[in-house]
Amino acid sequence: MAGVVLETLSNKKLLILSFSLAIILTVFFLIGGIVAPSPNSVMDTLTIKCYDKDNGWHLNNMKPFTPRGKDSCKHIDSFKDEEIELKKIDANEIVFSQQLPLPKEGIDLDMSRWFQNLIAVMDVNVEYDEDNPYPENNKPEMLIEAKLFYRDKEDDESDWKLLTESSEQRKLDCTIEPERRRNGNLYNCELISLFELGSVHYDYYLINIRLPIDPRNTMNRIGKLADMHVIAIFQNGGFTKVWFSMKTVLTIFALGIILSIMNCPIEWLTLAVNMPFMMLLNDIRDGAFYAMLLSFWIIFVGEHMMDQVDRNRLMAYWKHLTVVILGCLALFIFEMCERGRQLVNPFFSIWSSEIGGAAAFGFIITAGIAACIYFLFLCYLVFRVFRNISLKRTSLLHMSTLRRKYYSGLIFRFKFLMIVTLLCAALTVIFFIIGQLSEGQWKWGDIDVSLEYTSAFLTGVYGMWNVYVIAILYDTDTNSREEEVQLTQLPSEASTLTSFITKQSAD
Amino acid sequence: MHLMVTLCLMLLTTDVCSQKSTKVKAPKGTKWWSLAKAGEPSNDLRSPLTKHNNNPSLEPLTKRQRKLVTKNPGSIVAVESGAKLAIQECKHQFKNRRWNCPTNFDGHGNSIFGKIIQKGCRESAFIYAITSAAVAHSVSRSCAEGGISTCTCDTEPHDRPAGRDWEWSGCSDNAKFGHAFSRKFVDILEKGRDFRYMTNLHNNEAGRVHVSSGLRRDCKCHGMSGSCAVKTCWMSLTSFREVGHSLKDRFDGATRILPGNDGLKAEEENSGNGRSSKKRRLSFTPANPNHKHPGKRDLVYFEDSPSFCEKDQGLGHNGTTGRECNGTSIGIDGCDLMCCGRGYRTEEYVARERCQCQFHWCCDVICKVCTVNKTRHMCL
Repeated sequence: MAGVVLETLSNKKLLILSFSLAIILTVFFLIGGIVAPSPNSVMDTLTIKCYDKDNGWHLNNMKPFTPRGKDSCKHIDSFKDEEIELKKIDANEIVFSQQLPLPKEGIDLDMSRWFQNLIAVMDVNVEYDEDNPYPENNKPEMLIEAKLFYRDKEDDESDWKLLTESSEQRKLDCTIEPERRRNGNLYNCELISLFELGSVHYDYYLINIRLPIDPRNTMNRIGKLADMHVIAIFQNGGFTKVWFSMKTVLTIFALGIILSIMNCPIEWLTLAVNMPFMMLLNDIRDGAFYAMLLSFWIIFVGEHMMDQVDRNRLMAYWKHLTVVILGCLALFIFEMCERGRQLVNPFFSIWSSEIGGAAAFGFIITAGIAACIYFLFLCYLVFRVFRNISLKRTSLLHMSTLRRKYYSGLIFRFKFLMIVTLLCAALTVIFFIIGQLSEGQWKWGDIDVSLEYTSAFLTGVYGMWNVYVIAILYDTDTNSREEEVQLTQLPSEASTLTSFITKQSAD
Repeated sequence: MHLMVTLCLMLLTTDVCSQKSTKVKAPKGTKWWSLAKAGEPSNDLRSPLTKHNNNPSLEPLTKRQRKLVTKNPGSIVAVESGAKLAIQECKHQFKNRRWNCPTNFDGHGNSIFGKIIQKGCRESAFIYAITSAAVAHSVSRSCAEGGISTCTCDTEPHDRPAGRDWEWSGCSDNAKFGHAFSRKFVDILEKGRDFRYMTNLHNNEAGRVHVSSGLRRDCKCHGMSGSCAVKTCWMSLTSFREVGHSLKDRFDGATRILPGNDGLKAEEENSGNGRSSKKRRLSFTPANPNHKHPGKRDLVYFEDSPSFCEKDQGLGHNGTTGRECNGTSIGIDGCDLMCCGRGYRTEEYVARERCQCQFHWCCDVICKVCTVNKTRHMCL
């Protein structure tokens, strides 16, 4: 049913069409590569070790511990200070504190709503120490008591409001190479996820973390801690702006329903209203789009199988669609568990508990297997299509020259459409594989080349899907109009190619 | 620009002269080392006791260092802790050697490392490298803590219009500022055509390069459902102990260089093109033609080290008499080498030390006091 226009276009028009599609695609890539900055920024901060002298945290009457400013807390430079011994400071009296963002270039920076989301991870620096060793044979449990405060620019400097508080258990996984086992060297520790905020609605965020020690249990027996870093990752404002603009422009043009759902830039609202569920919603929308795109490809290729089997029913594709739905469902459940819970408690991470981690891993593996099977199905279908075509092609020899030229042109264009489909699918898959394998922000060649490749890939692939879907929509749209015209000439079938097949098989 | 150059030249010449005429005094540019004594017990009446910990005195700094420090509020605290860090690390790395990084806070304008730094030997090369590295490390750290508000952003190569850079593309760098600050602060007076200065400059830079190249790369995946489709990476500082270890390795493999023409030539090239003076390329000829040219991370020296066996008042080194040595080792900490063949005496003593401590992640809490019989060897 689809592909009629492409199949009947003249060579010249086909050339113009593919050329303009290529140009649009290039523009998408260039927007990502030149205009947009890298998609994400990272702020590596070292927490200040505040001294909670009156044990206010424990007694629950604490004031927020601020790392700087007029109300800054009493702090210790390092745990090696003599002060620790002099004042008999104990682990329960230390509060790690940091305020985001850090001041830079002499400006008191503030967080912008354009940042969209904020992910914080903890990097715990554990020192090798013979007297106070890290328990290497069992990964120690950490109990992290954390509080997150916020404040806006207009507010008074000490007017921190509690956003959320939680106490979380995480496993600490550290290793050290045998040749580096010397006092003072650092272990290589896995990062510990701290919290994820789905919206950056306020100007300043204050993080307070405590690692309590209780003589009755083995929590936080992690060896010798030297420092604690809190690393904040957020989407760059510039990238958000480019992305929003693209989405806005594209919604105006593209009218496909799924496209609208995918594109509808309700993110604009985050600038005005606090919408912490944005991250979840975005992931679900992306997932819906993927599900639709993948199903579309299977059906699109299947409809061009040309083997006379009637498959105008979705039931004919149940195997393929089950795979897609299974994969998407697995990701959806995982998503609801992780991001859904984070709406209530940003500090929650499914990975932190052993069972949760295993379950999450199971879901992701299921999705991965489904993706692999899907791709095999698709490859197999395309392979069969090509085999069918080459089989049919032999019968061309029996036709008159004029008809043969006409039909071989048709076949050529059809193959072109198939290859574009496969290319789009392959690019999407490659995009994912590259995403999994490569480093986050890679660059080709020298620093002089000012192209942001990660952004280019994100916007490029996004643009590609849109261009592809627009092309197909345009295709089917004009197809139906042409159908009416062609009905008089070819009463039985819509597509000339399918008519060729039927005619040929009737011969 | 022109005025600046002439000004610099004037400064240089006066400095070189003062250096030559007053051999006894420490080079002005290294006086900041004495910031390390802030907060430490001192018998010197001249050192102001009322000094507030958060505001170290700018007294030991040169005019231009002071300017730099005032321009970057908070940086003086970082420099001070850098100086402490350097001394602490130097002492740690050399605790088993004849020269054990002795320091002396006499407050009379002498270098706290003693006159060893007026020699061009391995030890002074290490001192220059470790102090400059410590400033870079400590300033970078302070940037990450938010202690210095003027740290620069390493915005991507794009030249965004000034203004809301931060909102557009974020701000992620701490280490580069530390490196640049240390270069400005430490190298400030190490200018001139003197071979010694060129050596010092090289060693300063080598120390900083060890900090920058010791950065560790960490990544976090945060794509759809936490997949690695989107991955963000950053560089984080390692502990200064590791910088100390790698500098100590370079100390052991330091290259002896010849006062040839090379250093001078490099400088002349620069004076021809004022801009490139920031990216000074110093190249030295190794004394042994079979050795390779010293690289960016190598330490260089041009004078033999003293043996450090006997007390040398001129160097401010007490010799190894009375030092403890390792009776079983055949290395440099062994009694044979440490005591320079003078022999040693062995004594048994009773020590009361803390034992069976229970540690928490920050600090030790409960310790017992044990009495142990111990043996030690002391050089004669």
